[in-house]
Amino acid sequence: MPSLLMARRNLVRNPLRSGLACFGIVIGVVAIASLGILGFTLQAGFTQNMGDVANQVEVVPATDTDAGFGTVTSQTLTDREVRDVRRTAVGATVTPVKQQTVDISYGDTSAGRNAYAVENPEALFEADEGRVPASLSSGVLVGSTFADQLEINVGSAVTVDNSSYRVVGVLAEEPWTAPVNPNFNIVVPETELRDAGYSRVIVEEGSASAANETAQDIRESMNRREEVVEVQENSELIEQVRSQQRLLSLFLIAVGSISLFVAGVSILNVMLMSTVERREEIGVLRAIGVQRTSVLKILLAEATLLGFVGGAVGVVVSLLVGGVINHFMLDDALMVLRPGNLRYLGMALGFAVGISLLSGAYPAWKAANERPVEALRG
Amino acid sequence: MIARLENVVKRYDSGDETLTVLEGVDFGVERGEFVTVMGPSGCGKTTMLNILGLLDEPSEGTVRLDGDDVTGLDDRERTEARKRFVGFVFQYFYLIPSLTAQENVEAPTVFSGGSGGRAGELLEKVGLGDRKEHKPAELSGGQKQRVAIARALVNSPDVILADEPTGNLDKETGDETLQLIRDLCDEGVGVVAVTHDERIKDYSDRDVELDDGVVL
Repeated sequence: MPSLLMARRNLVRNPLRSGLACFGIVIGVVAIASLGILGFTLQAGFTQNMGDVANQVEVVPATDTDAGFGTVTSQTLTDREVRDVRRTAVGATVTPVKQQTVDISYGDTSAGRNAYAVENPEALFEADEGRVPASLSSGVLVGSTFADQLEINVGSAVTVDNSSYRVVGVLAEEPWTAPVNPNFNIVVPETELRDAGYSRVIVEEGSASAANETAQDIRESMNRREEVVEVQENSELIEQVRSQQRLLSLFLIAVGSISLFVAGVSILNVMLMSTVERREEIGVLRAIGVQRTSVLKILLAEATLLGFVGGAVGVVVSLLVGGVINHFMLDDALMVLRPGNLRYLGMALGFAVGISLLSGAYPAWKAANERPVEALRG
Repeated sequence: MIARLENVVKRYDSGDETLTVLEGVDFGVERGEFVTVMGPSGCGKTTMLNILGLLDEPSEGTVRLDGDDVTGLDDRERTEARKRFVGFVFQYFYLIPSLTAQENVEAPTVFSGGSGGRAGELLEKVGLGDRKEHKPAELSGGQKQRVAIARALVNSPDVILADEPTGNLDKETGDETLQLIRDLCDEGVGVVAVTHDERIKDYSDRDVELDDGVVL
């Protein structure tokens, strides 16, 4: 502790010089931390837009390439093919989807829309109002845009192809990338689409890489002799985008690190100057019985203190900058407090202290090792 | 003998030339004895004092503190011995400008648990009881030298080594400083003062002449 006190005193003695050295560190820390936060926020924004789509695989009937351009196929998957998908995607959530165009009337309005039917609606949909039951028997779920347009609420009665249903939930808006997009449509009980075939099967895995493996397995096992199904997945594309973003983040941090490195050089300079100026003083300390290691400690404490104070101020400024970035990109300034961002702040602070310590090492070593008799000779 | 040099030789190698500053010096100081070492500039007075105070090492010969041979000690041991046995008083005072008078006196003890109030007592003893919180810049030359003397005393040394202690003081403050050193001597501390100020002879017990690297 005495070395820390002595160090503080020495720094306060020349406030402008210490302040400028600190300021360099502040800039370095803000550069690293806010560029890191920017990169992380870009990734978060991307993930938010993509939803779970990276983990999903969509299996649809193979298109008949002989049918020619523009031919509308109304092919469906057979029960047997759905069973094959289930058998291949062990451990994943497999949701076969039936789909048919239906007439929907509500009040005086009627519209032709897609109706989806699934055995486990929970796996694919989320409710904004009301709820999504484990299985639909007598109610329907209405897509958000459709509900808005027709002013349908939970509890309203709608008619689907002559059968009347009660609305049990209005669905949350799904991202455009979702394979089954109910925003303009309706989810009905399976009994309503008893005669319809399966238009697709959605397989949801725990991760993008697992989804990618499952997609490969399905292709291999089901299309061995002829092209029966088409397996669509986004995992590869998304993985590519993500790795690009990681590269971008790294690049941004590298740019920030350069400024912190420059700040380290300025600390080196400041410490060298101040040890040269205090040469006699250090010589006296040694003469009156202060050990070499104690002198070393004082000087290292000075450099570290510069780094720590600069780093702490830098962290506060970075939090503000990060708050602004998050406010504009994610609509929530407090998102800056997520662990991923805090990691960048901690890293920048650690880097600042580390580089200051490193920069202080040479001047401190040099000053501590000077023979007191040389220093006092002037 | 509290501090002693036995046949000490000091040579400096500068390129091809070898400069011999001390050529076999035998010298010693007892507890409670005030010795002045006089001689022209460049005769090796300061080098002798530095070797006696373990700031410098002899090329040949033996240095003894309280009878123990301290010639071959490493830096850490020498620093420790310096702290235990020796107090320095310099011509230019060498106070640390950022510290108050009291903190300057405490400086030698900061890394070993503080002076435990002794610094304040010493400042009162040297007549600066009302200047404890002053920085060196706010003190006169005589006051600075008295702070330096208090600092030299804080570890209760057995010997005080003074290099031109009156060199930067006017006659009156010089006399005050010498009287203070004389009083310390009478309390049992050995003092070696290197100087060309003839006045010091009025206060010392013994005078030694150093010329061309030998004690006359």
